[in-house]
Amino acid sequence: MSTILQVAEERRGDVPVVFLKGRMDATTSPDAEAHINRLIDGGDRQLVVDLSGLEYISSAGLRVLLSGLKRLKASGGMLKLTALAPEIQKVFDIAGFNRLFPIYRNLDEALGADAAR
Amino acid sequence: MLPEVVTDFLILFQMMCVVVVFAYLVTRTRFYPEVLEGGFSWKNQAILILIFGVLSIYGSESGIDILGAPLNIRDLGPMVAGFVGGPVAGIGAGLIGAGYRMTMGGFTAVSCSLATVLAGLLAGMINLANRRRFPGLLLAVSGAVLIEGMHMGLVLLLSRPLPDAVELVSDAAFPMIAANAAGMCIFALITLNFENERRTCRERDRYQAELQRKNAELQIAREIQESFLPPSLPTLPGYALAAESRPAREVGGDFYDVLGSHGGRVGLVIADVSDKGVPAALFMALSSTVMRASAAWHQRPRDAVSDANALICRESGSGMFVTLFFCILDPAEGTLTYVNAGHNPPMLARADGSLIELRASGIALGADDRSVYEERSIQLSPGDLLVLYTDGVTEAEDASQQQFGDERLAELVKGLHDRTAGEALAAIQDAVAAHTQAAPQNDDMTLLLLKVGT
Repeated sequence: MSTILQVAEERRGDVPVVFLKGRMDATTSPDAEAHINRLIDGGDRQLVVDLSGLEYISSAGLRVLLSGLKRLKASGGMLKLTALAPEIQKVFDIAGFNRLFPIYRNLDEALGADAAR
Repeated sequence: MLPEVVTDFLILFQMMCVVVVFAYLVTRTRFYPEVLEGGFSWKNQAILILIFGVLSIYGSESGIDILGAPLNIRDLGPMVAGFVGGPVAGIGAGLIGAGYRMTMGGFTAVSCSLATVLAGLLAGMINLANRRRFPGLLLAVSGAVLIEGMHMGLVLLLSRPLPDAVELVSDAAFPMIAANAAGMCIFALITLNFENERRTCRERDRYQAELQRKNAELQIAREIQESFLPPSLPTLPGYALAAESRPAREVGGDFYDVLGSHGGRVGLVIADVSDKGVPAALFMALSSTVMRASAAWHQRPRDAVSDANALICRESGSGMFVTLFFCILDPAEGTLTYVNAGHNPPMLARADGSLIELRASGIALGADDRSVYEERSIQLSPGDLLVLYTDGVTEAEDASQQQFGDERLAELVKGLHDRTAGEALAAIQDAVAAHTQAAPQNDDMTLLLLKVGT
């Protein structure tokens, strides 16, 4: 198991996709938070965060994603999550966050839903 | 026998070794740092004069002929005294060195003695021009070169017969200048090293003081935070309670509460704030106060939690949230009415050996101000054991990052239904400790247990 979080970004059309890989906890989350904030500050309103590489998420990680969601929603945008492993999905379910975030099975579905909008 | 050039070099090398040891010893004295920091006192000046006067005498005494040319480092002591302590120290040390030189006689006695005093004076002027600071490596060494050049000029000017003076200077100028410059280089390097060392020490001391102050503040914060938790658990006829919260750092984001409610009923709260450290602790203070007030106001758990959520949402910047489980026990009826706001579902071990988890739909407080909370009720039976916990328990990791896990906790709790609340609490804490061994824990760990029957 890793003790780091890799943050990568790819643009699919207009939409930035942030890939999080590794462990998202109090120590590693600040990098992801800075990255997401930079995108929002830069004017992006639709954001997809791909969690397929995530092994663990703590409440500190949930806070970072919630913070991004709240900021985007406040300005008419949206933060979508995709490809949650079962143990990650469980953390979202317990906190009730599965009803807060639009969660998609994979990246194509998340982007397709965006195109259809 | 070694060739002359080698023995001469060895003698020169020994001379420089004496300078190194001398410089090192001087920097280790108590007065040297005072002098370097511009602390002008007559006592320090006197010590400087004495020490570097002695070095000047050594310079004369250790003088030798190198390949036929006379060489000494008499001027080095007064120069260092001047660079470090100013003109008074420079002239003083120079006078001692000059006095000794005069006793040695020779046709250069006057010019060399005068040059030694002037060396101290000039170095002292450089110190003054540098605002009473040691001038640094480059300036000190080039100053030494110029001063030795002045020394040679004085010999030419004052010493007679002139042809002898010219011959002496043409032989001695280069080795004298080189040797004194090398000696000054050693002194400057050791002095600068010493100043660096002192600067580093001061910075370290400052950081340490800062750290101590912060730690003291955190300790006070921890005490304040502990005061938010119930100082003692109430005694309930027919029931027993046990609880403990252990923050991973000085302060944490977990809390529990036991609240008196309407008609002899008792409210139990367990909660876990997102993230950790000071931000979590501040949010914990807010959340526990809001929840306490809301629970005192409302009779129904759902209303209390909904209201708390609305209040906390207004304060939850940067995505902060708190997962919380709130239940009200009616001791007479043996019913438990609960709301689960995104918290790990508490485990109820029944007297028959089965186990159920108290789930109810609801989002963590502070995440969404339109959250709707489901309220559920369950009938308790004698022997039932209710375990409220935070994820620091189930996510406690061993050295290979294996979590303690929900399943392990469930199995453990199932087997604890015949224990008292206090025994069950200790058993869970011991099992987690046995799992983690010495691995450092980075999450707060909180447990609140209710036992039906004692």
